[in-house]
Amino acid sequence: MDEPKATGIQRSSTRTKRVRKKKKNQLPFGIAVLVLAVLFGIMLGTRNQGMPIFWITGLAFGYILQRSRFCFTASMRDPFLTGSTSLTRTVLTAFAITTIGFAAIKYGAFVKGLPIPGQSYVVPISFATAAGAFMFGVGMVIAGGCASGTLMRIGEGFTMQIISLFFFIVGSLWGAHDFGWWKLNIILKGKAIFLPDIFGWIGAVVIQLLIIAMLWIAADKWENRKDQKEFT
Amino acid sequence: MKEVELDCLGEACPIPLVKAENKLKEMEIGDVLIVQIDHSCAMKNVPEWARKEGHNVEIEEVDDGEWEVIIEKVK
Repeated sequence: MDEPKATGIQRSSTRTKRVRKKKKNQLPFGIAVLVLAVLFGIMLGTRNQGMPIFWITGLAFGYILQRSRFCFTASMRDPFLTGSTSLTRTVLTAFAITTIGFAAIKYGAFVKGLPIPGQSYVVPISFATAAGAFMFGVGMVIAGGCASGTLMRIGEGFTMQIISLFFFIVGSLWGAHDFGWWKLNIILKGKAIFLPDIFGWIGAVVIQLLIIAMLWIAADKWENRKDQKEFT
Repeated sequence: MKEVELDCLGEACPIPLVKAENKLKEMEIGDVLIVQIDHSCAMKNVPEWARKEGHNVEIEEVDDGEWEVIIEKVK
């Protein structure tokens, strides 16, 4: 889709004549990895019923992340750096879809009188959330990727981000070690808000989608505002 | 017409873009900038930025996971 049109840029003859390494055919490796992935999935299935689902979801997520060049870091960084908000809007679209999906799952459990899944992730919100998000943002721009992006790029073979992975692990362990203290002294001082408790199920979905739509429009305006400035 | 190569191999995401931006500023109209990258993220944002600026852009995958973004400065 993103294939460049033949713009016919003239390049000096010395360069185009340069001998290129012949690309290795990766198809046999691909098939071998696929077979191993399936075998590993079956092996996981014999031990635990739920594990193959996690395995397949993880592989699918990684595949989509890599092929689509999806990048949460770029979605937050590029509006400031280049004025491009295409990834910002992509992430917002993804949020909108998951809003509907998660609401459906939770509401489904709610009407059946079952415990609502994932409620342990409804955690108190406070100034700590904003402070942590800001620090994470600075870190991910310097490291060249958020958590999923770092893992995906190492999988691609971008060796420099092994440094990111190392400190990602160090930071996670350190964070986990001290998390009890933070939770007790800072996080629990905030208030946990589950939107359907306040606005009702329909109201919560509508309000969340409206906020996402407003951000989407703002992102679109931001990109075009930059364009207009350049052409006038 | 000048042709400039910019080696960004091994540089993570925003750096190739910032380097290309700065380099292109110094160049004359009609010059060609070749940005060599191996970070898949830069493969997206460098061409996107250059096209938005109105330059001619071509991408060539020179090896597995290694690309050249060829930018012709038009204004």
